[in-house]
Amino acid sequence: MKKTVALLLVLILTMGAFIGCSAPEGEEEGKEKIGLVVSTLNNPFFVSLKEGAQAKAEELGYDLIVLDSQDDPSKELSNVEDLIVKGVSVILINPTDSAAVGNAVKAANREDIPVITLDRGAEAGEVTAHIASDNVAGGKMAGEYIVEQLEGSGKVVELEGLAGTSAARDRGKGFNEAADNSDLEVVARQAADFNRTKGLTVMENVLQAQPEIDAVFAHNDEMALGALEAVKASKRDILIVGFDATDDAKKAVADGEMAATVAQQPKKIGSLGVENAVKVIKGESVEKSIPVDLKLITE
Amino acid sequence: MTLNKETLMKYKSVIGLIVFSAIIAIINPRFLYTSNILNVLRQTSINSIIAAGMTFVILTGGIDLSVGSTLALSGAIAASLIALGMNAFLVIIIAILAGALIGAFNGVVISKGKVQPFIATLAAMTLVRGYTLVYTDGKPISTGYEQNAEIFSKIGAGYFLGIPIPIYIMAAVFIIAYYILKHTRLGRYVYALGGNEDATKLSGINTDKIKIYVYAISGALAALSGLIITSRLSSAQPQAGSGYELDAIAAVVLGGTSLAGGVGSVLGTIIGALIIGILNNALNLMDVSSYYQLLAKGLVILIAVLLDRKENE
Amino acid sequence: MDKPILEMKGITKEFPGVKALDNVNFRVIEGKVMALLGENGAGKSTLMKILTGVYTKTKGEIYFEGESVEFKDTKESQDKKIAIIHQELNLIKELTIAENIFLGREPVNSLRKIDKGRLYKESEKLLKKLGVDEKLDTLVKDLSIGKQQMVEIAKALSLDAKVIIMDEPTDALTDKETESLFKVIKELRKEGRSIVYISHRLKEIFEICDYATVLRDGQFIKEERVKNLTEEKIVELMVGRKLTEQFPRIKGQTGEISLEVKNLENEYLNNINFKLNKGEILGVSGLMGAGRTELAKTLYGAIKKDNGDIYLEGDKVDIKSPKEAILKGISYVSEDRKRDGLILGMSVEENMSISALKNFTKSLLKIDTKKEANVSNKYVDDMSIRTPSIKQLVKNLSGGNQQKVSIAKSLMTEPKILILDEPTRGVDVGAKKEIYDLINRFKKEGMSIIMISSEIPEIIGMSDRVLVMHEGKITGEFLGEKVTQEKIMRCAVGIEEVRL
Repeated sequence: MKKTVALLLVLILTMGAFIGCSAPEGEEEGKEKIGLVVSTLNNPFFVSLKEGAQAKAEELGYDLIVLDSQDDPSKELSNVEDLIVKGVSVILINPTDSAAVGNAVKAANREDIPVITLDRGAEAGEVTAHIASDNVAGGKMAGEYIVEQLEGSGKVVELEGLAGTSAARDRGKGFNEAADNSDLEVVARQAADFNRTKGLTVMENVLQAQPEIDAVFAHNDEMALGALEAVKASKRDILIVGFDATDDAKKAVADGEMAATVAQQPKKIGSLGVENAVKVIKGESVEKSIPVDLKLITE
Repeated sequence: MTLNKETLMKYKSVIGLIVFSAIIAIINPRFLYTSNILNVLRQTSINSIIAAGMTFVILTGGIDLSVGSTLALSGAIAASLIALGMNAFLVIIIAILAGALIGAFNGVVISKGKVQPFIATLAAMTLVRGYTLVYTDGKPISTGYEQNAEIFSKIGAGYFLGIPIPIYIMAAVFIIAYYILKHTRLGRYVYALGGNEDATKLSGINTDKIKIYVYAISGALAALSGLIITSRLSSAQPQAGSGYELDAIAAVVLGGTSLAGGVGSVLGTIIGALIIGILNNALNLMDVSSYYQLLAKGLVILIAVLLDRKENE
Repeated sequence: MDKPILEMKGITKEFPGVKALDNVNFRVIEGKVMALLGENGAGKSTLMKILTGVYTKTKGEIYFEGESVEFKDTKESQDKKIAIIHQELNLIKELTIAENIFLGREPVNSLRKIDKGRLYKESEKLLKKLGVDEKLDTLVKDLSIGKQQMVEIAKALSLDAKVIIMDEPTDALTDKETESLFKVIKELRKEGRSIVYISHRLKEIFEICDYATVLRDGQFIKEERVKNLTEEKIVELMVGRKLTEQFPRIKGQTGEISLEVKNLENEYLNNINFKLNKGEILGVSGLMGAGRTELAKTLYGAIKKDNGDIYLEGDKVDIKSPKEAILKGISYVSEDRKRDGLILGMSVEENMSISALKNFTKSLLKIDTKKEANVSNKYVDDMSIRTPSIKQLVKNLSGGNQQKVSIAKSLMTEPKILILDEPTRGVDVGAKKEIYDLINRFKKEGMSIIMISSEIPEIIGMSDRVLVMHEGKITGEFLGEKVTQEKIMRCAVGIEEVRL
């Protein structure tokens, strides 16, 4: 018994110690609160998304509470429940998975708290607005760029994202639409799980298997940068196109190492999210689907 | 006849590896190109170096789940120090010491705190990953493009006499690990501890110290792997190495080391690591769809371990 | 008249590198009690494991009721109505008596539900027959060892076993329990069942066995009617030579004190005071749980002391770990060599040298394996340890030889004080004598020896002085020549206190 009490005490103290470390934006009295549930902060893309949202919230004078789902749908659900308890006015959700997020959205619906989804959609529940860049269009954009650069034909490798994720599906779909409409031949199609280290090893292996490669399309920049290291080491001349336009990738494009990267604008997704949340709070109407521009960065 | 069978048993893992490689070579002759063999060895170096450390831990009857996180943190520390312009050699030493320190901490919790190795290192795995995210702010850290970064990049990307540096590092790690386990007192005590902890303690051996040593070795080698990856990519990823602990454990077990401790060798481990490395390489070479890749890997591990059990009976 | 129900002919069993059984014959005669005798390591257990299908034989034939049979697993031998009761009983402690008896063969009703009524009725019948008066829903863990044994026998009877093998059944039984076991055995014999009886206690053989088969070193020596044998004759057959005097007590040097303990106290010990001389064997007797092993482990630094002082050759020492004890010249040979004495998966050589590895280190931290092998071989020769080589794994040695390896491990640290905890437990007659000779040799060389033992004859026969412990205290101290079994017992149960 004594032990349990001591343990609880230690737990509470430890939690207390961490409060100081939490995000600087305190919960001031009187301000309306907006909740943001991010799929993972273990990925620079979503970190940017969060930063965009935070900047916008500060600018407009709202409290933004950010919670990290760590790519775990059940964590996501409890995060949403926590936000409901905290009494936020709007919840922005960047789902870990379009299907699994349904119950979290419904939980918010039950409390009449409006939900806006970011980047990935929700397959169930009622969503006030969905803000995302069109991954299919982005994949197509990359594919068309490669077709153009190779003047219509050539051998291409596709580095796929984590099997079963919507980003991997959509970007692959767009890219292959473009490839099918040309004389491009996809000589290898391998998953590297959105991960730079895996992008490196998978590309190394593909380079061994394929004597002739003209271009690589990677479903994200992390894999593209890994592939870049492999290509550099092989001293072969291969066009590399990534996706997301992370800082590292933009630098590689600027240095002429990567050919291009499709820029999603995660900051913009975040800030648009907060902007629309504020509109909802003020009772203004918002668009059901808000596309965020993609652009191809080639220099 | 008997001699023949015994030799066969002794080298069964080597024979298995050769047969396995031969089958792949028949399906895709490119597998045997020198460039691909060097490629496989370089890729295997990461997992095998972690697995070498894991072998020490598993021989004592323990387990270390924190290696993947340790790899990420050491890599991040190294990348940030290189970016600050610190001497590359100094950075290497600091990063390896950081790994050893995390390992030693595990060892202290396990021996002095009497916590199950699984639980202690599970906690460390989460703790260290968390700290890595705090340290990197969730973003990759680039080593930059200064001269020290150029030197640092040699560990992972450099060549000597046409052979990638990581292969030399791997070879050195295994030669030293073999020497320690086979020829030194520490090695003998590691086997003794795994064989019978109570008896080892009563034989006048400081088992706590041995445990701290083996986890420190495991941490240091995880850090070394982290240095190779970071150097290879010229940047440290906060999520680097997640799941690597399982690959390392698989390599150790494929190599015939018993999870109960006391039985096994680091030579088996390198073969286990090679089997996993070759499998990954072959699946890519043959352009097998990613859905089937996981199936194939799981099956190979299952079959290899079952065969091993059968023969040991 | 005497018709064999079971015959094993020319049984040979080879393990990698070892021939455990070599052309062994064994018969079980219907309605008789067959003693199977031999030293530890003679091959009794291996033979029984082949009979019950645990091992497969390398060569030989088994005939059951005249038919050649081959048992691939225990199930097949059970189907032929052969049951074995292992020394370490094979019961599930958290289940009831009835559940244990019918474990795996529970009577079920048409819905596959266990039919409790039938389960209890059948069990009750069996227990009644065995004269056991216990409730059927008592958990096995709450039974005495003797009663647990009866449950095992009930299990064998529930199989309607024709041959019941009992491996050292009386080892853990009280005299009374042994008596009732014998009654049951005689009853079973009357019913025409055959018993294979394995025991070290020769007296029992004469009490209940009809035939005796003796094995030695994996070979068949003799089968003989018990009434034609004497105790001496059996020992001779087992050991292969005549045993001279069991306890050859020798005169040691005395006078110089090597160890003195003052007011030693901790959780297990209460105000312990004694002295130990050079070249002396100090016997420590007492009942289980009296604190003898704890005293040894406290001296050895494996258990913390709370109070009191220890003096080694006049100097006060503070020993906090076994490592320090070894450095100061104290060594301990554990009572339970399998649990905390030896590393069974390591070789003879590696076990021997582990405490003294420091002495075998060359440059570059390398172990000098040549020197290690030389020294190990010397001990193997010196102590006549029977092993094919020093590379043999310790788990493949017999109990006596394992014990010698365990002692050799301590000797390699060159101790001045050697603590032996139950040095002959689980060791057979021949090896016992050899161990006694060794202990006497150490004594002659000037070593001080503390010998803890539950075998009172051994304590009386070997010790120069005897300490008796009771509940953590020393309650008796006697000179070796003057002590008797009765004096020791009176102090051991705490009705008398005697100090010199």
